[in-house]
Amino acid sequence: MWHARVFGGLAVLALGIAVIFFSRQLPYHSDYGPGPGFLPTWIGYVLAACAVVVTAQELRALKQNETFFQPRTRMAIKVLLVIATTFLLFPFLGFSVGFGVFICATMRLMGGHRWVTCGVAAIGTAVSIHFLFGHWLGIPLPTGLVGW
Amino acid sequence: MDLIHNLYTGFAVALTFQNILYCGFGVFFGQMIGVLPGIGAPTAIALLLPLTFTINPTSAIIMFAGIYYGVAYGGTITSVLINVPGESSTVMTCLDGYQMALHGRAGAALSVAAIGSWIAGTGSIVVLMAFAPALAKFGLRFGPAEFFALTMMAFGLLTVFGGENPFKVIISTMLGLLLTTVGLDVVSGMPRFAFGVPQLLGGFDFIVLICGMFGVAEVFNSIEQSEDEGQAIKGKLRLGDMFLTWEDWVASRWAIARGSVIGFLIGMIPAGGITTASFIAYLAEKRYAKHPERFGRGAIEGVAAPESANNSASISGFAPLLALGIPGSATTAVMLAGFMMWGIRPGPLLFTQHADLVWGLIASMYVGNFLLLLMNIFLIPIFVAMLRIPYSIMMGLIVVFATVGAFSVNNSLFDVWMMLGFALLAYIMIKLKYPIVPLILALVLGKLSENSLRQALMISGGSPIIFVARPISALFMGAALLAYLTPALRWFWKRWRAAGQEARVGPVPS
Repeated sequence: MWHARVFGGLAVLALGIAVIFFSRQLPYHSDYGPGPGFLPTWIGYVLAACAVVVTAQELRALKQNETFFQPRTRMAIKVLLVIATTFLLFPFLGFSVGFGVFICATMRLMGGHRWVTCGVAAIGTAVSIHFLFGHWLGIPLPTGLVGW
Repeated sequence: MDLIHNLYTGFAVALTFQNILYCGFGVFFGQMIGVLPGIGAPTAIALLLPLTFTINPTSAIIMFAGIYYGVAYGGTITSVLINVPGESSTVMTCLDGYQMALHGRAGAALSVAAIGSWIAGTGSIVVLMAFAPALAKFGLRFGPAEFFALTMMAFGLLTVFGGENPFKVIISTMLGLLLTTVGLDVVSGMPRFAFGVPQLLGGFDFIVLICGMFGVAEVFNSIEQSEDEGQAIKGKLRLGDMFLTWEDWVASRWAIARGSVIGFLIGMIPAGGITTASFIAYLAEKRYAKHPERFGRGAIEGVAAPESANNSASISGFAPLLALGIPGSATTAVMLAGFMMWGIRPGPLLFTQHADLVWGLIASMYVGNFLLLLMNIFLIPIFVAMLRIPYSIMMGLIVVFATVGAFSVNNSLFDVWMMLGFALLAYIMIKLKYPIVPLILALVLGKLSENSLRQALMISGGSPIIFVARPISALFMGAALLAYLTPALRWFWKRWRAAGQEARVGPVPS
């Protein structure tokens, strides 16, 4: 994973080329001056040009680059997965209950809190979200199958 | 007389019970955010922005301004007490502030920071009152060519101030511009980069994007960088320790004055920012000190100068935002998004069309700065207690607010997933050392930039000469060119100096 920054540069290069390709399908000129493809085309060229320079820089500094995966990166990825799972559960659990479960999971995962503490925090979160956002601010939050 | 009348109008707005309450909440919340490492002013404002749909815009912007300068105050507390900057703008304060705390002078460090910030902030408001309307009048002369050149200058200055590697800054800026092109083209009505997804035809919503890039991405970043929860606080704090001695006053008075001036000037530069201001103020103070060796060992000037500068810069950053509609930092960029959300376009006409908002905001800054001074002297123990909130709970709350914020824009779960996607993008960018702020500024200025470019070229019949034929536009374009060339000039200067040194001392053995 020492090469992550090089891959980053190459990804930008690929993006730049893709932007040029898709921009060329849009009119570069119009009757009233530059067309909708004008700016994106130039963005693509600049992205690609800068990506070449950055990739070259990263290749030269390969040994000085720090690793992509730090000791706590695994924890960040776990939290990302918990968030994604919560989002997937929204249609079934709704926002209030979904976030209650989320808070419980992250407190347990990150802080190692006791299950009782996590459970109380989960109920508190669900009730607070329901009343703060749903009632007080009037945001029509998804309620899911729970109906709350 | 106009100024007095405007100020009277402003205070009439700022001193209503409701606005004092919003201002008080803003500065308290900002102070709290500043204390908590891992959350910044743009994140805080981004998370609250969707919740202000129903609030009066003047009250909301007063609250957001309070958060902005409140954060600059709050970050100092952690810098001094635990050597962890609550905000990037208080990094320089760690150097001498923490040393003062180790020597039992934490109270004096926090006091000089609070008083210096108050003096700098109040002074900056006075200058802002005189300067901003003049800048707005100047802005009335701007046409599409000038606005395009101005945005080019802002993007150019990002390569100077926006990050270590100018090429990565440009890439980040281009990504921001690219995101603004997604959706229906306003001139031709053609869809661009929507790939048949109906939700993309309207483009990316700014709130969805910043909730992801500042809110949730910051969570991932903080998890990775955080150490064990709860840190030792150095130095005991009693109210009596908060008062400065006569020697402290004498030592810090010019540092406060110099820091204020440096901060004001840098804060006004698009992309200048409060972090750069505090950095330059500290270096300038050290350079002109009679005993520079004291810096880094607990010199009170080393706290007074950067703290005055960051507060001064946070106030002066409103000048280009209000008068020209050009944000100078990520926080003012988020505020600009707020203005747009409420249907108000900052710029030269703002001072005439929404005078009560502008002058109410400016007058509220006096109120906010005074409240902050009191809070910093009397409420420090409360803010210190907040440091003990476990991050596992804090991050959960950030994710909740960011998600509800993103959802509330269109009441759509698609936006929630979009927010997570942008959070992931920002997290990877941060890890690969691509700065986020240029992307956000480009995102805010992208539409203005493209529309001005196309309008200007329509006026000139497609000739780019229009950008150099008009004096103001030519000036901005010249500044933009200089800014883009600065990294290259810096590189040549370093090489030239190294070559000169080598010629004098001889080649360095490898």
